[in-house]
Amino acid sequence: MNTVHDRSVLLSLLVAGVSAVAPHVPEMPPWIVAVFAAGAVWRYLIDTQRWHRPGRFVRVALMVLVIVGIFRQYGTLLGRDPGIALLITLLGLKFLELKTQRDAVVTLFVYYLVILGSFLYSQSLWLGCWALVAVTASTMALMHLMQPTGLTLFSRLRLSAVMLAKAVPLMIVVYLLFPRISGTLWGLPADAYSGLTGMSDIMQPGSIRSLSESSEIAFRATFEGAPPPLRELYWRGLVLTDTNGRGWSRAAASPAESISFTPLNDPVTYQVTLEPSNKPWMPALELPGMRPKGARYQPDFTLEHRDAIRERLNYTLTSYTHYRTGELAVAERAKTLRLPGNVSPRTRDLAEQWRRENSNPASVAWAALNYFNRENFVYTLNPPLLGDNPVDEFLFTTRRGFCEHYAAAFVTLMRAAGIPSRVVIGYLGGEVNTAGNYLIVRQSDAHAWAEIWSPERGWMRVDPTGAIAPERIELGFDAVRRLELQGVALGRLPTDAVLRALQLGWLEYVALHTRWYWDISHLAWYRWVADYGKERQEKFLMSLGIEKISWGRLFSLLLACVLLITLGYALVLWRTKKSSDFALALYRRFCRKLARAELVRAPHEGPLDFARRCVNRRPDLSQQVRIITDNYLRARYGATVQSDTLRALKREIRRFQA
Amino acid sequence: MSAVPAPNDVVLGRRQLFMLPTRFGLLFAALLVVQLLAAINYGNGLAYALTFLLGSLAVVSMLYTHRNLIRLRLVAGISAPVFAGESAVFRINLMNDSDTPRFGVIVMHDKNAVARRDIMARSSAAIELPVPAGKRGYLKMPPITVTTHFPLGLLYSWSRRVELNQFCLVYPRPAEPTTRHTRALDSFEATQGLDAGGDDYIGTREFRPGDSPHHVDWKAAARGKGWSIKQFGGGYHCSVWLDWDTLEGLDVEPRLRVLTRWVLDAEHEGMLYGLRLPDKTVSPSNGEHHQQECLRALALFGLKP
Repeated sequence: MNTVHDRSVLLSLLVAGVSAVAPHVPEMPPWIVAVFAAGAVWRYLIDTQRWHRPGRFVRVALMVLVIVGIFRQYGTLLGRDPGIALLITLLGLKFLELKTQRDAVVTLFVYYLVILGSFLYSQSLWLGCWALVAVTASTMALMHLMQPTGLTLFSRLRLSAVMLAKAVPLMIVVYLLFPRISGTLWGLPADAYSGLTGMSDIMQPGSIRSLSESSEIAFRATFEGAPPPLRELYWRGLVLTDTNGRGWSRAAASPAESISFTPLNDPVTYQVTLEPSNKPWMPALELPGMRPKGARYQPDFTLEHRDAIRERLNYTLTSYTHYRTGELAVAERAKTLRLPGNVSPRTRDLAEQWRRENSNPASVAWAALNYFNRENFVYTLNPPLLGDNPVDEFLFTTRRGFCEHYAAAFVTLMRAAGIPSRVVIGYLGGEVNTAGNYLIVRQSDAHAWAEIWSPERGWMRVDPTGAIAPERIELGFDAVRRLELQGVALGRLPTDAVLRALQLGWLEYVALHTRWYWDISHLAWYRWVADYGKERQEKFLMSLGIEKISWGRLFSLLLACVLLITLGYALVLWRTKKSSDFALALYRRFCRKLARAELVRAPHEGPLDFARRCVNRRPDLSQQVRIITDNYLRARYGATVQSDTLRALKREIRRFQA
Repeated sequence: MSAVPAPNDVVLGRRQLFMLPTRFGLLFAALLVVQLLAAINYGNGLAYALTFLLGSLAVVSMLYTHRNLIRLRLVAGISAPVFAGESAVFRINLMNDSDTPRFGVIVMHDKNAVARRDIMARSSAAIELPVPAGKRGYLKMPPITVTTHFPLGLLYSWSRRVELNQFCLVYPRPAEPTTRHTRALDSFEATQGLDAGGDDYIGTREFRPGDSPHHVDWKAAARGKGWSIKQFGGGYHCSVWLDWDTLEGLDVEPRLRVLTRWVLDAEHEGMLYGLRLPDKTVSPSNGEHHQQECLRALALFGLKP
């Protein structure tokens, strides 16, 4: 029993190995996977086609080759990638010498490690599901190895699945209660992050437009209580102050500036699940009233993570949608008034005219918005390309633009009118997932707007897009896109006509809801699996009414739960089947009573034979013995067991005296 | 001591069962530690989940390992008598009264696995435990333990030593036919007469267990007259007495061995023979049943019942 002699056991082992290694195929260099596959196939051919089994020398040589190859590939043998590559290739080579039961067990345990290794690359719902398959396959192989006889493939599958299913509740309890620590034990290896979509910190004409083509999810937000209306959902990302007349960029942060503001309404609390963007910006509703862990609160009321965000990030925020900010510092004022050299005279004239006609910054802004609305400006997803002086060209020639065109033109005009102003980029609105009561904000919801400073209110948000395409603000980007597809002119139709144009067909309705539920499962997965760390654990425990619990107590609680569940399982597993086992137990009692009267049932003696012998020896008992034996046989072997048969049996046996 | 050893069955209860991890179980625990460290280090939720899933699997497998043995019923079977020097074979029935099969049930004796059986639901499996029979008399079945490491080999459950009330009758080892006891053999031959057995039909008697099927009166049985044995005789001029006293000078055990040999030879040659021991006399007869009676008397000579 100590060897892997059985071909079907080997096959189980190989299948489990393939399922464990499969998730690594996209990540690993192909030759690593090839070494594993070659080892598996070679071993299979050794067993089935009587191929030559490589000797010790060949195996050692292969191992050295593989190790050298991995070193050349990664430059090191330590760390996540070379470590997993080493495990996978050595598994392939291990197949060649797999002989004893111990070899096979070690191999299977390495499978479990390899499965864990795949989580270091991705923690998606899909991978989680696949890992369950791989764990089942490995468990089946372990069972096959330990018990080569008696169990069919199906019964192994069923037993493994049942055992794993029973392990899941235990796992969930331990998962939720096992104390998490923040930070890591050792430094995480620096791994490449590529292909992440995120908002750039430079706004050129067309840059937000290009972002709007991506339906990738930027973040999700769950509100505590009712979310504010869509038009108030301005997710502040970056503030762009500097301009060269074409592009806009961030100003160098001056840390001395004040960051205080006065809230004017009740706070909104919400939780953001931010997708990795490889950028440090953390979108927040205007204006965030606090700083989440690991973030810096910038003087321009934006939040910036200390590192680029390369993993899904969860944070809880409180924001005030109505606020008044403080005084403007001199340096800040100068920066937010600076005009680029290429501002044309007609732009200056326009601004100058508004300044003359209006006394305060708010009415100047109002004049500008009126201008956009009155003149034949068009909000379009396909604006014409602009040359070297985009603001002038846009204002006086093309007049067709996207939000960034309007924001840039508006801020330029305000500065020309002597009002401190700046561009803010971020996201506007989002898709309310009514099925899960949260908001999905996609890259296509990216938006640019403006802020002007007035002595009375401080920084004030002005969204010039709203003057041309109120649908963008009221209904969101998706509505705009669909209206555009239908050829509906924006900002011209009455509201009910617009809403009618946006009515969903039933197919679209089903598709939308399917997408929502799909997204909910993903969000739940992220929050409870990928992001279940110290903070979320504390929050979870708090929701159970457990606050500030020590590790010792947490472990005791965990242990108590595990014991309780295990005990429950034990009771179910050891429960006696009422009918037939109970009948047997009663019959044994009857036999013990007879044994006291020197009538001992031989092991080979059936109940009928025994009854006959008893009646022969003790004719006085014949009536009772017959009744009891008859009832017993019916209870134990009858097609259906009536409970009154059992009850009669019990009564008779209790009364019986030999 | 009755003819059938007292039946005895033992049901493995919770108090009779123990459990410890196997060496693979310990290795598995080491694997879990490595996985947990990786999960903590990478702060990886799925890695935590996998680690805890495997840990929970081990806990669940503990229950299954325990279930594999609990309430298993061990029932002593019948063991045929043997001669000293041979192997006594004890038969043990492993009865599974539950609705789930039990796989990989291993019966151990003296730290050696005797048998490994899969017992389906509501059925049983028989195992044979050979034990060298050294001395004549009753040989008690040695204690056995029942173990299993089903289903995953991570845990090992074993029972307390189970002693079943089962005995094997061990006859004295027959002496060599060509030993120095020829004189006794001569006297045996002398008293025996000339004709060894005959083939004249002399009547029938009632069937006794142990009778050879060759002598059953099948025709009578077929006619529903019950089982009877055709007796042949005419060859028996006189009864042969195998007598303890004819072996004066020998020690007790050698004497019993010689008498055993004589019983076997007499039966083999089809004689009528009787056995005279100081404490017991078996009147002359013939047949397997008679032979067993003589051998039993020899096996138990001088032993306390």
